[in-house]
Amino acid sequence: MKISVWGDELAAWVVAAQLSAFGNEVQLCAGEVWGRSEADNCIYPSHKSISAEPGLMALLEEGYSSGRLSAVGAEEALGAPVHWLAMAPDHADQALELVKRVAGAGARPCLVVNQSNFGIGASDRLQACLDQSGGQAVVCLPDTLQEGRALAQFGEPDALLVGCEDEGARRWLMGLLRPFTGAVRQLQLMSRREAEFTKFAVTGMLALRLGYINELANLADLLGVDIEVVRQGMATDERIGSHYLAPGCGFGGQHFTQYIEGLAELLSEKRRSSLLETVLAENLRQMELPFRKLWQHYDCELKGKTVAVWGLAFKPGVASIDNAPALRSVDALLAQGARVRLHDPEALPEVEKRYGSNESVSYCRDAYDAVESADALLLLTEWPEYWSPDFERLAQRMKASVIVDGRNVYDPGLVREFGFTYYGIGRA
Amino acid sequence: MTTDICWQALSTHAEALKPRHLKDLMADGGRFQSLSFRHEGLLLDLSRQRIVPETLERLMSLAQASELPEWIAALFAGEPVNDTEKRPALHSALRLPESASLQLEGQDLVPEVHANLARMAEMVAQLHQRQWRGYTGEPIDTVVNIGVGGSDLGPVMACRALADFQPEAARGLSIHFVSSMDGSQLAGLLDRLNPATTLFIVSSKSFTTIDTLANAETARRWLADASGMADAVLVRRHFVAVTASPEKAAAWGVPEDNQLHFWDWTGGRYSLWSTIGFPIALKIGMENFRRMLAGAHGMDEHFRTAELGENLPVLMAMVGVWNINLLDYHAHAILPYDGRLAHLPAYLEQLEMESNGKSIRRDGSGSELRTCPVLWGEVGPNAQHAFYQLLHQGTEPVMSDFIVPVRRYEAQSETLQRQHQLALANCLAQARVLALGDAALDAEPPTPWQQYSGNQPSTVLLLDELSPATFGALIALYEHKVFVQSVIWGINPFDQWGVELGKKMATRMLEALGQADGDQGMDRPTAGLLGEIRRLRGCDGTRASKGDKG
Repeated sequence: MKISVWGDELAAWVVAAQLSAFGNEVQLCAGEVWGRSEADNCIYPSHKSISAEPGLMALLEEGYSSGRLSAVGAEEALGAPVHWLAMAPDHADQALELVKRVAGAGARPCLVVNQSNFGIGASDRLQACLDQSGGQAVVCLPDTLQEGRALAQFGEPDALLVGCEDEGARRWLMGLLRPFTGAVRQLQLMSRREAEFTKFAVTGMLALRLGYINELANLADLLGVDIEVVRQGMATDERIGSHYLAPGCGFGGQHFTQYIEGLAELLSEKRRSSLLETVLAENLRQMELPFRKLWQHYDCELKGKTVAVWGLAFKPGVASIDNAPALRSVDALLAQGARVRLHDPEALPEVEKRYGSNESVSYCRDAYDAVESADALLLLTEWPEYWSPDFERLAQRMKASVIVDGRNVYDPGLVREFGFTYYGIGRA
Repeated sequence: MTTDICWQALSTHAEALKPRHLKDLMADGGRFQSLSFRHEGLLLDLSRQRIVPETLERLMSLAQASELPEWIAALFAGEPVNDTEKRPALHSALRLPESASLQLEGQDLVPEVHANLARMAEMVAQLHQRQWRGYTGEPIDTVVNIGVGGSDLGPVMACRALADFQPEAARGLSIHFVSSMDGSQLAGLLDRLNPATTLFIVSSKSFTTIDTLANAETARRWLADASGMADAVLVRRHFVAVTASPEKAAAWGVPEDNQLHFWDWTGGRYSLWSTIGFPIALKIGMENFRRMLAGAHGMDEHFRTAELGENLPVLMAMVGVWNINLLDYHAHAILPYDGRLAHLPAYLEQLEMESNGKSIRRDGSGSELRTCPVLWGEVGPNAQHAFYQLLHQGTEPVMSDFIVPVRRYEAQSETLQRQHQLALANCLAQARVLALGDAALDAEPPTPWQQYSGNQPSTVLLLDELSPATFGALIALYEHKVFVQSVIWGINPFDQWGVELGKKMATRMLEALGQADGDQGMDRPTAGLLGEIRRLRGCDGTRASKGDKG
């Protein structure tokens, strides 16, 4: 089957690689849809965190060398009978435009699979541009891929949610997914709007859990309770479980935040509900919590202090600093006239782009170099390499033995034994 | 020509004009053209005043004879026009562009003025970027301006007037004003505010104003009680002083870094252009604050250079003189037809009455002329339901200023645009009825109680729109108008000795309230009140408890 995949999201690359591996002729249009036509520029993901996806690049290479995968320009991509949209949330207008062109010039019948997070009702709007009675249908396949496990999640899903209102389209989609659906235990068909809503609902739920555990952690701080013990207790209740219950200095990332903002806006507009807006606002405050702990430690005066920061990416394993919580603490430190020494295994080039050459900012290639003569160390992204540092070496190199652990990776007792003043999130 | 001759001529002219009703004067076809004047976004319409073009000529002769041009030059040159306090009155210097220069005692003031603006801009940026941190490290999101008189009225007025121009960055910051010495505003506010995210601006030129310092002490105590933190840390993170007395602010505890300064040559009621305008800049952003300064500077230049007969502040002032001194009007209503200008009347009450509410001339002699009228006002459409009855049918002659923008709500809903249309229509209708009376109607009024005699003069100030620039120009217009009148009356508009004695007496009275024998040296009525207050408080001076009193 000839399939055009649109977008530069993780899902676009995973789908293109996987579909081409099973005999489909996949044309990938990952550039800005109508802006750029040099398809050559877009044979690899533009986000480094996507290229780092385990197994992805190898599978893409395989597709290119087999000839079944090719990168094309928008005009060329229009002709295929199947269009798979895995585009960024802010490209809804472009998606609408391309579907209109497909309707006008493309094949009929045709299938549009919308795997982009454009919000509730977007798939219906796409459908409205097409000729349904002529066999042009849109199905909505919510994007549930998680970085690090995306190939397997697409290749061997154990559950599948499909928003589909057309029997022909369902058969077509299931045909395409056939190589991957052997292990599916649960296939749930629903309307397109319901599928979109489900995606939103899941994301919102995760955000609420994070917001709730952070709120509890801050309270634990005031009451002298260790939240880590509490959350382990919570997780023993099977109704709650252990996912998305780690307190920390806020969640970030471009998409997660964008989805929740979208849902918060919808709730506020339709229901005058501030539930998710509050979660978002509190999350912003939470991002500055490491700064506030340090501010209070140093009696509200950080001018001239040197602060080491470990971890700036919005989560471990990515090079991206989109909405990264660490940035807000760094901004706050700089605004108070502190000097910062920054380390991150992957994100340093991005960080350097943001802060440029600034005499208050040092970019350190080595984590121990970052703590040199520091008045404090802030751990803000829990990269594996930070989990078991040489505390003695840290204590020797730092000017003052103060650790603010924004991700609760250390054992407070152990760290204090090494002579550090330790601040975690909810671990007073 | 001497002033005596000018007054004589005006008096004769007035006698001739007095019998003529405004409705007859307004029948002249060219009247609007000859009696309305423009400067940039402002139109001054004097055609509903009881004047003819010849009146203006005679008034300008009086201005000439009173050496007004020389006084204007002296004002702008920084001569000590505030002679009783031996200093200049250089609010206009606060509005000079950076490229200008103004020498005072061998020093160029302009760089200093702009250095202070730059310092203020830094603080504004820090607050707008949410990087001014309170004692917990949370960003400040609430600012309370503590000040009274000029340190309150100007900023309150401007923040309200220009709220539409609030930039995105300022939206997260709420701004409150506290002035009253009894703490009633502050007490209500402190109940609602979060001490960790509240910053207090203590605005006092002298940093001795008891009203302000009493409020500031309460705020300081509130922070200490809420945080349990060291006083020095709290003052450093939660107080900014805006003052012309840095040492006094430092003695109160505000570190140099948290001070914004202005100068003794800035009168309190002329100080919104200085760092006293800090809350304004926080509300509307530095860019708009600078536009406001530029609008005022435009008016300064107009006032300084335009011919007297085309000079808006001069025309407005001289028509006021005509009304007060020749037609016997001693009440002046300020009637903005735009809710955003709600605080303009209170601001002008201080500007006009504290400046020109005086009866001793510069030379120490008593004034033979009536000076500043009683001035009050209210948002026009609301005042229509309050005191307009008196304007239309009362026995008191009143002159009025109608102030209204032409364009409003252009980017907003049609219904709001219609509401402004409604206000505009009411403004014009009221000015017309005040002038014409019954003649505005086609038919005779059916009963005596429905008669309107009209002939009440008014000025209409039409703003193209209310913007930082036109607002700046409007306020500068009134400032200069006040100055012109002071020149005609020979008084110093820049001092305020009349407010001193009461303050002194209050200090003595405070002691008297706390002392058993506090009545000594008091007049009998005051002693009587003191006794009554002691009785009601349950202490008669011998520290008797409530229960002991029968």
